[in-house]
Amino acid sequence: MRSEVWLVIAGMAIVTYFTRAPLLFVLARRPLPPRLRLWLRLIPLAVLPAIALPMVLVERDAAGARLALSLAHPPLWGAVVVFALAALRVNLLLTVALGVAVVALLRALA
Amino acid sequence: MPSVFVYGTVFGGLAVQAGLRPLEVWGMSVLVFAGASQFVAVPLLAAGAPAAAIVLTTYVINMRHYLMAATLAPSFRAFPRGWLALVAHVINDESFAVAVARRHPPDPWVFIGSAAAVSGAFLAGVAVGTPLGGLVADPARWGLDFAFPAVFLALVALQLRRPADWVVALMAAALAVAIARVLPGTWHIVIAGFVVSALAALVLQPETA
Repeated sequence: MRSEVWLVIAGMAIVTYFTRAPLLFVLARRPLPPRLRLWLRLIPLAVLPAIALPMVLVERDAAGARLALSLAHPPLWGAVVVFALAALRVNLLLTVALGVAVVALLRALA
Repeated sequence: MPSVFVYGTVFGGLAVQAGLRPLEVWGMSVLVFAGASQFVAVPLLAAGAPAAAIVLTTYVINMRHYLMAATLAPSFRAFPRGWLALVAHVINDESFAVAVARRHPPDPWVFIGSAAAVSGAFLAGVAVGTPLGGLVADPARWGLDFAFPAVFLALVALQLRRPADWVVALMAAALAVAIARVLPGTWHIVIAGFVVSALAALVLQPETA
């Protein structure tokens, strides 16, 4: 069973190295085409919200998946706090810590 | 560097909490060395998600390295290939930002120095974090489960500079939420991340966006 964990780690390591090494080796002389460069710049802008928002807004369990848009849903307020602090360029670590604290506080009050 | 150390500590702690063994957490941190994808992979591994899905998700999250490698490449023109193979593995967001902010084209030695410090701080953080992992009985009670989405949300907010960035981020978020309600696993990350960024790259003008 644990060899499966190592298989996943090996797979992750291989595909990640494949995102780092090829262009460092090949592109020492030629510049990247502008449209490809634009796409590479936009990838994190699409991937990061695609990871984060479903974690906050979609509740999954054995019964299925549903939207969690209620104002009594603590992660929603944590998300608002984190987004606002990060937009104001507050230190990343402090931002995350305050977001976690807000979620913990609201859960304790509920 | 302190923030990278804490990032590593939190990762080590949460990964052990999720059920990974310290050696596995270490192995992943050394061999993959890409924090965001590791944070995403750990809960998936713990939930027994299919290996192919975790690896594909990792690839999509780490595709941002292509741009960093392409930008750094001219600075490393004179370096032997063996060096390049090693430098490639330590490409990371923080060191890239440091090297690019200083000089154009980036100074290779500034990058190497920063990458050495970042990898050292991250691995030291993981070493401190793994023994702390089993200590918190109910992570959700302390809001620690929210640490994952919080990091990603903060990283999004830091990258929104132009109006087009907002459109891309909001479209990806909406599509991902819609997909997450109907498809299991991490298909929403792969599909929304890939489709929205590719469509936007086709529609937007490279020089303005």
